[in-house]
Amino acid sequence: MPPAFQSATDCVIDRASHTIRFVRDLDAAPAQVFDAWTKPEHLACWWDATGAPLASCEMDVRPGGSFTFVSSSNPDHVFSGVYQTIEPPHRLVFHANGAEGRLILDRQGDGTRMTVEIDCGSAAHLDHYLEVGVDKGTAQTLANLEAYLPELEATAA
Amino acid sequence: MAIESYPQLDLIFSAMGDPTRRAILGRLALGEATVAELAQPFAFSQPTISRHLKVLERAGLIEGGRDAQRRPRRLRLEAMKQAADFIEPFRREWEQRFDNLANHLTTMKPGEK
Repeated sequence: MPPAFQSATDCVIDRASHTIRFVRDLDAAPAQVFDAWTKPEHLACWWDATGAPLASCEMDVRPGGSFTFVSSSNPDHVFSGVYQTIEPPHRLVFHANGAEGRLILDRQGDGTRMTVEIDCGSAAHLDHYLEVGVDKGTAQTLANLEAYLPELEATAA
Repeated sequence: MAIESYPQLDLIFSAMGDPTRRAILGRLALGEATVAELAQPFAFSQPTISRHLKVLERAGLIEGGRDAQRRPRRLRLEAMKQAADFIEPFRREWEQRFDNLANHLTTMKPGEK
């Protein structure tokens, strides 16, 4: 049976602010969503895209505190960083992989509008972030793009 | 591998990072259109629209049609697909993560602290 609250995630790449922004409406109060992000026993259950619980989930949820999430499906897949701002239940800011992550939770009716922003600091870094973050299938896409370059130059001439 | 090797990816994302240009792409998704036809729904002059079209053309997202007189523009689906392919695995990973989160929230007791 499909989950009751399955809904689409909006994904916008805003080059002007070098930010990737995801917006998702959730059927839970902001405090509950905030807990799901800031308590290891909860985060470990959902962070890995495969759905498998994390092999390790350590977090020191204080400004300057660090976190390390290790995937059980791929032990090399480690997400680590440092918390910057903790304002329950509406805002969480952290630095990871050279980018700033911002979690913004706004009450919407009985639920929460969750906005996750990945601010890469510069447009060049945004491209790099996407390149690194998108490992699966990217090589082929880039190969396609490379093949397409001469054609583009020809049209531009 | 350096991202500098793929300058047109930069052009594609940059071209798509503007609401007017996205609206133009949306209009062209319905079929080819001339500059005059594209300018109509917007409060912009034809030269302004032409400038936007130039950005889209440079990114390879659109091209001029065969009719030299009217120069109708149309989408280059290959380029659109390349941009989408590039983002898709990244988007899918987060979408999956958020699906997991939505499911997990149903297992948390409301008001649990």
